[in-house]
Amino acid sequence: MKKTKTSSIITFVVMLIILACYLSPLLLMVFGSFKSYSEIMSHVLEVPQRFSFDNFKNVFESMNYPRSFLNTLFVTVFGVAGIVVISSLAGYKLSRTKTRYSYLIFLFCIMPMMIPFQSFMITLVKLAKELGLLGNLYGLGIIYWGLGAPLSIFLYHGFVKGIPHELEECASLDGCSPLRMFVSIIFPMLKPVTASVVVVNAMWIWNDFLLPLLTINSNDSVKTLQLAAYGFMGQYKMEWQNIMAGAILIIIPALIIYLIFQKNIVKGMVAGAVKG
Amino acid sequence: MNQARRKKVSHALEFLGFTMPAVIAILLFVGIPFFMCIFYSLRKWNGIQRKSTFIGLQNYIRAFTNDSTFIKAIGYTLLYALLTVILINIIALLLSAILEQSNLWGKGFFRAAFYIPNIISLIIIGFIWKFIFGRAFEAIHQATGIRAFGWSWLGQPKLAVISTVLVTVWQALGFYMLIYIAGLQSVPDDVLEAATIDGAGKVRRFFSVVLPLIVPSITVCTFYSIANSLKMFELIFTLTGGGPGDATTSVALDIYNTAFNSNQYGYGSAKSVILFVMVAFITILQVTLFKKKEIEA
Repeated sequence: MKKTKTSSIITFVVMLIILACYLSPLLLMVFGSFKSYSEIMSHVLEVPQRFSFDNFKNVFESMNYPRSFLNTLFVTVFGVAGIVVISSLAGYKLSRTKTRYSYLIFLFCIMPMMIPFQSFMITLVKLAKELGLLGNLYGLGIIYWGLGAPLSIFLYHGFVKGIPHELEECASLDGCSPLRMFVSIIFPMLKPVTASVVVVNAMWIWNDFLLPLLTINSNDSVKTLQLAAYGFMGQYKMEWQNIMAGAILIIIPALIIYLIFQKNIVKGMVAGAVKG
Repeated sequence: MNQARRKKVSHALEFLGFTMPAVIAILLFVGIPFFMCIFYSLRKWNGIQRKSTFIGLQNYIRAFTNDSTFIKAIGYTLLYALLTVILINIIALLLSAILEQSNLWGKGFFRAAFYIPNIISLIIIGFIWKFIFGRAFEAIHQATGIRAFGWSWLGQPKLAVISTVLVTVWQALGFYMLIYIAGLQSVPDDVLEAATIDGAGKVRRFFSVVLPLIVPSITVCTFYSIANSLKMFELIFTLTGGGPGDATTSVALDIYNTAFNSNQYGYGSAKSVILFVMVAFITILQVTLFKKKEIEA
């Protein structure tokens, strides 16, 4: 008994050391964000001499943080809301309809999970231009609907299989319209999978860089946080203290989302992954 | 008769009403662009004018015979994918096993902490590691004298390839650990107990009992790590910019450069189709091979 206790303490300490090494780059980033230019150049590894928020103030302005933050928030909310609406409707109906056409449409809907975004981005940009979706946040959000729907439909489709039919039959006998039944009876029951769909898509859209780069980069007023970060970090070249402060300002919102929805992320990621 | 028909029509309309929004969105933003890409891969098109001319397979022939950057990009991407897939899966499985097998205190904390790099966007990761490889490594080298820290991790072509692999493994590890931990938790306790009674030690138990039972998790993790590494773009975009020279230019980055920097949209489309075939072929091969190894508990 005693032996297992010491060995588990040893494992704990070893894991703690591994973790400390693993997260040390992020610690250096936090240290760096408080240092002055000369301090970060001469004392890279040390704890900062004083905790000054000057870098954060600089970055906050030069990145136009409030603007880009709101832009990112808007695209994320607009994109995720659309994905949830269209995917829950389709996933539910495709799961409940047992015909060959329904199955073919289901296959069509989930097929894109196998197609890398980079293998159709060139023509997607051209098509989006024709549709007037370039250069504005609505357009970007709408494009996310199509890109996010496949995985989300897959998750909804699988979840609906496990829900009994009886409730729907009762409701339709009572003369409830299909849409009303979906909104007031079905959708509330999909809550667990909706949580996963929201978290997975929100983290993806919040952190996405390539699609915004291709669609809205030319317009300064609609830049997302990732684009603003890229622009400003390129412009500062080697001023690491500002770059580190900017990185922290961009990580914090994602970190907050993660800490709040941690449990759903675990579930959502695992659910999303087990599709293979 | 008439009523039955009306019912059928209303069912069909209901089905369409529920599924069409998603089908249209997917068709518009994935399906049509994908087929447009195949169409334009057979044409010469600069992307600025609408006009394009049919040139048959010339784009494909050029990609494989007359474009050393693209060939090198394929070589780099395959090497990068091979190394990341092996390292990610071994390290993630090992750490997950240590976390799950022992009665370790603070399992949830470790799992959450290892996941943190995964919530940071890849372009930010690129900037952070540019700083680590540059300034921080130099400082460690001066403080400790360890030679490896003095090397030019982003400036020397071979080392730069290793650097991109290391940063990817560092960033992605937490995600794969989640899947492995979920797999390890599904291994039934009685099987493990039976093995212990039969006299199997910890290591033996892991390789002979646990490992065969979690092949489904290994299949999923390998699939994901292959698919993600074959289309790597963002990290390389900020960490190395594809350099030095074109040592770390991935296929995805080369597609981006071909289309958006040199305005060869038709040629870029052909490379896109090649990327798709590459990813599809390798992942399908991998899944079929791994599925054969799966057993029931």
